[in-house]
Amino acid sequence: MIEFKGVDKFFGRNHILKGVHLSIKNNEKVVIIGPSGSGKSTVLRCINRLEKIESGDILFNGQSILKQKQSQLSTEIGMVFQRFHLFPHLTVIQNVMEAPLWVKKMKKEQARELAVSLLEKVGMGDKLNSYPSQLSGGQQQRVAIARSLAMHPKLMLFDEPTSALDPELVGEVLQVIKQLAAEGMSMALVTHEMGFAREVADRIIFMDKGQIIETGTPDDLLSNPKEERTRLFLSRILH
Amino acid sequence: MNLDYSTIMPFMPAFIDGAWMTVKLSILSLAIGLLLGIAGGLCKVSESKLMRNIAFVYTWIFRGTPLLVQLFILYFGLPQLGIRLEPFEAGILGLALNTGAYCTELVRSGIQAIDKGQMEAARSLGMSKSIGMIRIIGPQASKIMIPPLVNQFITTIKNSSMVSLITIAELFRTGETIITTTFRSFEVYTIIGVIYLVINSLLMAVAHRLEKGLSAHDRV
Repeated sequence: MIEFKGVDKFFGRNHILKGVHLSIKNNEKVVIIGPSGSGKSTVLRCINRLEKIESGDILFNGQSILKQKQSQLSTEIGMVFQRFHLFPHLTVIQNVMEAPLWVKKMKKEQARELAVSLLEKVGMGDKLNSYPSQLSGGQQQRVAIARSLAMHPKLMLFDEPTSALDPELVGEVLQVIKQLAAEGMSMALVTHEMGFAREVADRIIFMDKGQIIETGTPDDLLSNPKEERTRLFLSRILH
Repeated sequence: MNLDYSTIMPFMPAFIDGAWMTVKLSILSLAIGLLLGIAGGLCKVSESKLMRNIAFVYTWIFRGTPLLVQLFILYFGLPQLGIRLEPFEAGILGLALNTGAYCTELVRSGIQAIDKGQMEAARSLGMSKSIGMIRIIGPQASKIMIPPLVNQFITTIKNSSMVSLITIAELFRTGETIITTTFRSFEVYTIIGVIYLVINSLLMAVAHRLEKGLSAHDRV
């Protein structure tokens, strides 16, 4: 579904991604872990073209994303951000209806129906007319997931979806993501929640300093890391 | 004390005509200035270097030179180049260009004050940059921009008195004319002051309501 072919990315003089090769298959759930600054979020941001790449290519279903329209690409790839980025001037239901109305030119009634069903799915059906500022972080993130699903993406990108949440709110968001995973959605996730990664991931990728150091099934990578750097990172975050 | 407002009462219709001219000048130049400011502000945050440079030169010149000089060039200077503007046209143009330059900076800073994540979220949902600007950034930025824009509008309304010097019979010039026949400077200037105060108070009241309306999502 997604294939990185020797992707390089610089921020000024910083070499953020160094010739990254990776692939994500249909229905696969890939979790990317690594220390901060390792380039894991950048990988996600390159997939939906929030960042331009300097060299290499990224294929989406066999076609280079560099040649595709943003609007086309974004209807097939959804993204959930660490800090939610809900639209604060719109109500919960308007947040979810916005893209179907303005990108897909859907009829208002139809968009409303879609939004209600998605918000019910993420357990936010009783907050349709609230504004984001009236919601907890966990609730905002669930609305953000519904907003993204409204475009019927084939692939969902999650960029540290629970890192900005109070600990007691993490569970409700992970629950929604697990449910999506169970329904067969293809996913790429960046997360620090190792228990969750083990549960949901088909494959875990460990990145450090712009390179992929090691890839493996959760059991292999988390319990028997082959590379020293992976071991060091895991020992730090698992204590 | 030698104050006598009754002697100038017969001139009330003239004051009202002058005030009406000031209101017309202000509304037109504010409307055009605001459009220029929105266009200029969008140029300032554009990815195109050419657009950014055009906006830079515009604000640099019109904020860096006195309004009076701009008005005099438009009215007294341009005829030398074969461009003859009516006083009203030159007045509107000068006030609008000047206001637009200040509004450009306000619009730019309003747009840049919005979290970058907002446009990223819009883009990741498939919105084009222009739809993202209209639907997502614009409404949030305009709420922030209202107080400084109102300040700028008040300044423009007061500055409109300067077009009296290019022969437009607006409020201030009307007053001057009345003084030449009545010699009642204090009375006339205080009446002029009060009329400006009334016009600006109306503007502030409208702005206040607008701001409240746009803040709906802040209510918790």
